Amino acid sequence: MTDKPTSVSEDEVHAYVDGTLPNDACERVGHAIARDPALAARVNDYFSLNALFHERYDRVLTEPVPQRLRSNTLRRSRAAANWPRFAGLAATLAVGIGIGIGTGTGMQMGHDAPAQLASTADTRTVGFDSTDALARRAAIAHVVYMPTVDRPPELRTKSEQDFVQWLSNKLGTDIHPPLLAQSGYELMGGRLLHDDHGTMAMFMYRDTKGERVTLCISRRKQSADTTAFKLYRDGPVNVFYWVDGDFGYAVSSGIDRGALLDLAHDIQVRLTSATSG
Amino acid sequence: MDIRDELMDHIPRLRRYARALIRNQELADDLVQDTLERALSRTGLFEAGTDLRAWVFTIMHNVFANQTRKASARALHVSVDAENIAESEFAVPAGQTRSLEMRDLDYALQRLPQEQREVLLLVGLEEMSYADVALTLGIPIGTVMSRLSRGRERLRNLMAGVQPVAKLRVVR
Repeated sequence: MTDKPTSVSEDEVHAYVDGTLPNDACERVGHAIARDPALAARVNDYFSLNALFHERYDRVLTEPVPQRLRSNTLRRSRAAANWPRFAGLAATLAVGIGIGIGTGTGMQMGHDAPAQLASTADTRTVGFDSTDALARRAAIAHVVYMPTVDRPPELRTKSEQDFVQWLSNKLGTDIHPPLLAQSGYELMGGRLLHDDHGTMAMFMYRDTKGERVTLCISRRKQSADTTAFKLYRDGPVNVFYWVDGDFGYAVSSGIDRGALLDLAHDIQVRLTSATSG
Repeated sequence: MDIRDELMDHIPRLRRYARALIRNQELADDLVQDTLERALSRTGLFEAGTDLRAWVFTIMHNVFANQTRKASARALHVSVDAENIAESEFAVPAGQTRSLEMRDLDYALQRLPQEQREVLLLVGLEEMSYADVALTLGIPIGTVMSRLSRGRERLRNLMAGVQPVAKLRVVR
């Protein structure tokens, strides 16, 4: 029989290593180990294996969680044919930081009262809410699509106005891109992106030096008050984004941040005047 | 805190476990992503008050098992049965190194049968109780213990570069 007082079972040996054995049983295993060098070596190695697991893999715990695994990115990735590409790319882009631009920078927000702006600034979080999601999508869309965008050859000679109409018809949306010729940017193309957050229209512009800018317009599920501009950075791409009523806007580019902010102001003014006019 | 937030708290641990389970980081994160997506689509099935960690690790186990089933259907030489793998296949020349070497761990783990690897990591890395492992994998606790025992000894031998000993014979 094996139930001598000194005998220990295989299960007990493992429970001993994993620290789940009651005290009295621990004592028995301890005695057995003291008398049996082979068992001692085995137990020692088992301990080492557990320690090795932690030594080797615990570093994963402190790694930043890739974007594609974050709660507001999940599920969307399988939602549309467009998104798996994005999800992969998002993981490779640097982690973006949403930075609220305070009211102290002296930006003009048209009809907004300063008091309202201040309160918006106070309650704004740096976390990832749906507006931040827009900024992130805009940054990714800019990187993914911008390099390939060019006006179709047959439309190169058309006037901007005609091209806008052609583009809106083609996209099947009533969202019209603003004309930015006065700011030095020419409309090059557009695209509709669909995901859980709804449909986002993106429009690509280019200036004479070849600098590229993307404007993303997203229809919001819930209307909101106008917000101040926020800055989102993802690697080399800066995104200024804001919400105005039913729409969220995001302007993305790799150009100088100050110049991009100026352009964002131009766009905002143009959009506002187009709506009211 | 709703389930969604609680699930997010488990991401680092899910990633750690997946990384040990599958050596490749991208594939490991794919597994985590698939797991989270499936969990999020089934939060209604989670019974409040029960162990969320066991629940989500169960989902990961199922996703992983499905993936490997598909993979083994494509690669017929991959056997799921531990005992069918020739011992010589994963034996490292004896005497090359006797120490438990960190750099060999990834490799050695991959040489373990999947079901032993899972138990070994849930116990040794995730530090689940044997009962929770049984619950997570949907197997009797006796099976947990036998997989743990075999897996540990096998991994030990792999790491030590020892030819695994043929099962103990009774000598009279």
